[in-house]
Amino acid sequence: MARSKIFIQRKDGRIEVKIAPDAREFLKSVVTQLIDAESDGEHPWHGVLHSPITPAADSDDPLRSFERQKMTATSAELMKLTLDETFLSQDEAFAWLASMQLGLRARTSEATIFTDEDLARADETSLQTIRALQFFLFELATTLS
Amino acid sequence: MKHERSTSTATLNQEEAVTEKSWNVVVWDDPVTPMPVVALIFRKIFGYSNNKATQLMMTVHHQGRAIVWSGVRDRAESYCVKLQASGLLSTVEQDS
Repeated sequence: MARSKIFIQRKDGRIEVKIAPDAREFLKSVVTQLIDAESDGEHPWHGVLHSPITPAADSDDPLRSFERQKMTATSAELMKLTLDETFLSQDEAFAWLASMQLGLRARTSEATIFTDEDLARADETSLQTIRALQFFLFELATTLS
Repeated sequence: MKHERSTSTATLNQEEAVTEKSWNVVVWDDPVTPMPVVALIFRKIFGYSNNKATQLMMTVHHQGRAIVWSGVRDRAESYCVKLQASGLLSTVEQDS
């Protein structure tokens, strides 16, 4: 039997979201961590959100860093605001995509997974989070493509 | 004097050549990002066609990195910030 889609592109341009309440709770925990990590220098996800832009330069342009911080926060806040919605606009759907992708990279970085070999050795708890985020990201990206 | 002037001109030309070098936006591979996500972000940020976005995504996947845009530094850093805010591993480097 074919698996039903969890993100559906409607003719009016909106994206219908058909995910269970527990999955929404999971995504809420991810996006809440992202928001916390942005301002908390001690948060394990903070480093991924503040990666160097031009590594060869002594330091990055603070305006660029601020621009990135604003984009990250805007996407995360928009995702959090729309987590319980049944329909998303294209902009809201892209905010979900960016936030889930950032959450995925932050979670893998926290678990020190940087290569395929690291991934093969990862603990089951990390893998469950990673697989869940990969699933939602794949489904949303193929719907938006 | 003549020799000095031509040396000075040569130095100036070298400096111009350095400042005119392009800045590259590089996207690096990681072991977890689903491929359709990468291609979609390239299309969204750069406005690339599906074919070009997919080709660049495959280069990242197979070669570990790809130069996805080249040009002036300011614009390169602006694109890099957008890629990073979308969750991709990206940096800016000057053409060697």
